[in-house]
Amino acid sequence: MSRVVFFIAMRQLWDRKLLNGIAVCGVSLGVLTLIAINGIMQGFQHKFIDNILRISPHVTLFDRQLRPAPPLLARAYDGFVVTDVAHQSPSERNLRISRPEEIVRALEDMSEVVAASKLLVGSAVISRGSQQFPVEVRGIEPTRQDRVTPIASYLQVGNYHTLEASPDAVVIGSGIASRIGAHLGEVIVCGSSLGTRLNLKVVGIYESGIPPVDNHRVYVTLRNAQALLGRPDAVGRIEVKLREPDNAQVMSSKFEHMFAYDGESWQETNANFLALFVQQNAIIGFVVGAILAVGGFGVLAIQIMIVLQKTRDIAILRSVGFRRSDILGCFLLQGAIISLAGAAVGDIAGHYVIQMLGKLKSRTEGLVKSEYFLVYEDPRYYYYGFAFALSVGLLASLIPAVRGSRVEPVDVLRGQLG
Amino acid sequence: MSVPVARDADTHRLLPWPPAGAIVLETRGLVRDLGTTVKSRILDGIDLTIREGEFVSLTGFSGSGKSTLLYLLGALDRPTAGEVRIDGVDIGSLDDDGRAALRGAKLGFVFQFHFLLPEFTVLENVMLPILRRGARTRSDAEAHAREVVESLGLGELMQRRPSQLSGGQQQRVSIARAVANDPRIILADEPTGNLDSMNGMIVMDVFERLARVQGITVVMVSHERSFAQRTSRQLVMRDGQVVEDLDQR
Repeated sequence: MSRVVFFIAMRQLWDRKLLNGIAVCGVSLGVLTLIAINGIMQGFQHKFIDNILRISPHVTLFDRQLRPAPPLLARAYDGFVVTDVAHQSPSERNLRISRPEEIVRALEDMSEVVAASKLLVGSAVISRGSQQFPVEVRGIEPTRQDRVTPIASYLQVGNYHTLEASPDAVVIGSGIASRIGAHLGEVIVCGSSLGTRLNLKVVGIYESGIPPVDNHRVYVTLRNAQALLGRPDAVGRIEVKLREPDNAQVMSSKFEHMFAYDGESWQETNANFLALFVQQNAIIGFVVGAILAVGGFGVLAIQIMIVLQKTRDIAILRSVGFRRSDILGCFLLQGAIISLAGAAVGDIAGHYVIQMLGKLKSRTEGLVKSEYFLVYEDPRYYYYGFAFALSVGLLASLIPAVRGSRVEPVDVLRGQLG
Repeated sequence: MSVPVARDADTHRLLPWPPAGAIVLETRGLVRDLGTTVKSRILDGIDLTIREGEFVSLTGFSGSGKSTLLYLLGALDRPTAGEVRIDGVDIGSLDDDGRAALRGAKLGFVFQFHFLLPEFTVLENVMLPILRRGARTRSDAEAHAREVVESLGLGELMQRRPSQLSGGQQQRVSIARAVANDPRIILADEPTGNLDSMNGMIVMDVFERLARVQGITVVMVSHERSFAQRTSRQLVMRDGQVVEDLDQR
């Protein structure tokens, strides 16, 4: 494109400041919406996933065996064929993971794994005075578990490592503490459905920022959980932290294959929420796309109007030696400049809107807990804003530009056009 | 703001017409039909030769085909049949870009309505064809445009926009734009048609000077008998044909 075409395009743009300003506003509004809405949606999603990835394991191995052991006779005599002739009655035995320590060590030897830890999880009721509250008891190996899910970092008060040192210690969530009015150092009673009761001293109160966790989960030592739930030496699950959380699904399948226990990645555990996010993002994408398209139609309408007004000028430019491609380039350039100006204004406004929203006090309770409006500033969306605006602007300018380039000077001079 | 005229400085007599040079415009069996469903023949087999330095007026009644012939001579239109040669080049052999380049290099146009670009100043309007041709740098183009504008007595109006000029001034700017690229031929379609007689005379003075002093070939469509009589050759058209070819030297 020659410099004179650039010169003409810029001058014509400048000469129609109001019209082109409106077109720029339309595009920038679309880009602003793209950035702001995505910032808000991503804010919640990122906070949720971030919290999930910190407080939850990346992969959990459960005590459900995937390849059941063959019948006893088949195990006793090699090559013995056994056929079930009656429906097997369900086993009375509690499920458990066999040789859990060997599995944990094997996992920790893998390069993809950061840490692994054994757990026993069950239900119990805790009480303090007349206050009772149902909870999920998690029996853990405190030091190992902290490497998988860093509970210590969420402790508001107390000392997490006392859990390992003290034989009757418990760490409770902030929601539970406020419901039963428990404080650090107080003794609470924890009872199971089997009638076992343990007096436990509160050595720490944590707040993960995920209300369902903070309101329902208590941590005790694995030994205490086994005693409380009446399952001595049992391990119900193994939790694993990976170097690459995004590989959790692949690694879960790999662990299933290696250890023959049912594995679940964090994506499977939270599949409902993640599917909801995908759907949310699709809806947002559609809405933002529609807004950008409206901005594009603004550019289209204004450019068509300008081409109609400029038909005589196009004719004279063609008669003094300008080519069709010059006219096409001139209008496409104008569309591109409008789009880029709109994208720049939209990006800057979007940045400030996100900053402003991030400072807005808005108490969030539910899936995640926050004192402020949840926003996430993803630099990619600024590039997306530019790319979308430029595409929409160029696409919208294409029709009027082609129309302008097809003007035959002789038609205008004969009075059939313009 | 005086307009230079084609007169001898001492005797105040009109300068003589330059001797006719090489053929610059030529048509052979030129036919042009217009209309989509019902075709009407506007030009009917015109054979014409115009030489360098001639100032030719095309006259005739409305609908006789004057403007259509001018547009074909200017490579703005394509003939239905026949041939148009501009400086030896058959325009039928050129594509769209080729014809645009030919117009930019060899032709200058002046229309009844000035068609100046309203966003640009007088100087910029004159500079645009020079810049498009790309033969000069921007500063050279500006210097040349200044020279052209001043030669037409428009020096004081250079920074004005077309809307701030009178009709006669606008038309002189459009002549300046037409001559900006030093064309061999100027084609003018009723350049005085939208002007009062005073401004019409001024515009005619400019054309006459271009032809007599600078030797530029000028082909002008005109309804005004008095203006047509000031040209070196008058072609009278009727029903798509040249019926009279008058030498007026």
